[in-house]
Amino acid sequence: MSKKILRVNMTKLEAKFEDVPADFVALGGRGLTSTIVAKEVDPLCHPLGANNKLVFAPGLVTGSIAPTSGRISVGGKSPLTGGIKEANAGTSFGQKLGRMRIAAVIIEGKHKGEDYYLLKITNNGAEFIKANKWSNKGLYSTYKELYKEFGDKVGICGVGIAAEIRGTASGVCFNDPEGLPSRYAGRGGLGAVMASKGLKFIIVDETGAPGVEILNEEAFNMGIKKLAKALTSHDVTKPGGALNSFGTGVLVNIINEAGGLPQRNFSSGQDDRSEKVSGEVKAEEIKKRGGVRPHFCSPGCIIQCSEVWTKPGGKDPVGVLEYESVWALGPNCSIYNLDDIGELNRACNDLGLDTIETGGLLGVAMEGGLTEFGNGKGALKLLDEIKNKTPTGRILANGTAFTAQAFGVTRVPVVKGQSLPAYDPRAIKGIGVTYATTPMGADHTAGYAIATEIMGVGGTAEPRDTKKAELSRNLQIATAAVDATGYCLFIAFAVLDIPEGLEGVVDTLNGVLGTSLTVADVPGYGLQIIKTEREFNKAAGFTEKQDRLPEFFLKEKLPPHNEVFNVSDEELDSVWGA
Amino acid sequence: MVILVKIFGELRKKIEGFNISGSLPLTLQIDSDGINTIADILNKYTIEKEETSHLFVNGSYSGFNKKVKDGDRVGLFPRKMALLYKWYFTRNEDE
Repeated sequence: MSKKILRVNMTKLEAKFEDVPADFVALGGRGLTSTIVAKEVDPLCHPLGANNKLVFAPGLVTGSIAPTSGRISVGGKSPLTGGIKEANAGTSFGQKLGRMRIAAVIIEGKHKGEDYYLLKITNNGAEFIKANKWSNKGLYSTYKELYKEFGDKVGICGVGIAAEIRGTASGVCFNDPEGLPSRYAGRGGLGAVMASKGLKFIIVDETGAPGVEILNEEAFNMGIKKLAKALTSHDVTKPGGALNSFGTGVLVNIINEAGGLPQRNFSSGQDDRSEKVSGEVKAEEIKKRGGVRPHFCSPGCIIQCSEVWTKPGGKDPVGVLEYESVWALGPNCSIYNLDDIGELNRACNDLGLDTIETGGLLGVAMEGGLTEFGNGKGALKLLDEIKNKTPTGRILANGTAFTAQAFGVTRVPVVKGQSLPAYDPRAIKGIGVTYATTPMGADHTAGYAIATEIMGVGGTAEPRDTKKAELSRNLQIATAAVDATGYCLFIAFAVLDIPEGLEGVVDTLNGVLGTSLTVADVPGYGLQIIKTEREFNKAAGFTEKQDRLPEFFLKEKLPPHNEVFNVSDEELDSVWGA
Repeated sequence: MVILVKIFGELRKKIEGFNISGSLPLTLQIDSDGINTIADILNKYTIEKEETSHLFVNGSYSGFNKKVKDGDRVGLFPRKMALLYKWYFTRNEDE
């Protein structure tokens, strides 16, 4: 039995399985979502109209026993950026789709009227169930009810109140192992796309699933061994290593020390109060409270960077507090209290909001005077405006750029309308090049992967040197390739330093596909994905003028380095040879 | 004449005379006399090079021979906290 695509027409409330076209067989994850979106979606369509599509695709090895491979990609035209979007998450939901041999779920059309639906996917087909009783509610209580109704073995994907009001800061939410609504394909407002179609939840029940098809068991098993050995031996990824011990939050102190941790809506790159919200402090506090750390976002992960943050006494689990979330809802808002940050993260999860975009919009809201910098309770009250669907809430739910415009703020940290993540591009210029030139809008994960040396290129990596085009291009290409496999990007730390690890990755792909790819094939694979995405964006009206950082990064010096972003437009344009 | 040194994680255990509790970094003001490089600071506390990961001088990602002087800020991270997007960083070194 080969893989299928499930096509879901929300206008007619019909769902049917199709064969995967021959030229899509070697595509998974971001490779498949971006290819389908580029082929089937009019780049000029309204992102919240009937002609946009939302595509879910597990990676090529997702659902198999390959380690650290539980990623699922979600794609569509972004209502936040106006361009193509891929956001991904680690969750058992994607693994279940992979084992059911569902290469993609394509949501198209738009249900007329006010009703919301739940789509239940089983091994035998799909059905639509009215979901109105679960709308206008927080996702924590709703996920509990859904598990009660559909059993604790299912996977859940859903969108929250922020998406119901079509907020472009809304993400697509997946379950974590505890069933909490904490794993997000957060970026780009894809939650609003899902809600716009009248779709509120997808439930996956994998009972009777055949499992991921492996065409070459020998290659697959050899690959797993090599990759597992690399992951368990590398300092960053091994049990007891940095990610496993402290989670992604270990970066708080490191990036603050590097002078690149944005404070107070990108007005400084260092503030030692950030030490109070570091990964080390968080790990200690989780242990004290009886939360969980380390923890996996999806079964089969060796790295286990995740965690379960709780209130004091182990009460009311939130889920993971990632580095980006802690920074966005913390230092970026001058909030240096993990309890406040935890409650803000809970509110984001509950309302279906992207934490990075929410931290960005809160930063500009504070600058615009809606509440004071540092006021955690005030920030929570602002998110209540979204919960109550007030006019102010509707402004906030539309993200950083929209909020800034509404309140007359001119320091607006966005690229292509999407809020910047937790690294100031004036201190770390290479990542600024990636923010500017990725088709996704400002995105740290877009250029974050395999080693330049493995890609066979040079390119200086001194943080404040301005020659970054080649480095950023190769990182973006490698990342696109990883995003197609279903592996977590964090494997890059190990396979970068241990060549057998990268060979292992390619071996597992050959095992699944029955191909004979080599490491040298990886760049071409990734480049094709980026080309597809850039062509979509071009047809949607993007030019090189959108591959720029906002003016204030070029004019306002960032303490402590007191530097501006001074990478030339020519250097930015040379990334893709525009 | 002092250098501000921030010591993170388990490296704090190498500094005698301090009771380490909690997870905040240890912030020391050390006499800059006789200290010319990061390596000199490591030697002062008998920290082996392989026990470290990221080293910073005034926010610059640095190597062991990076010069330090009065008024500088130095950050020392243990091996267990190695996590940088290393492709964006190279170590700033002096001869």
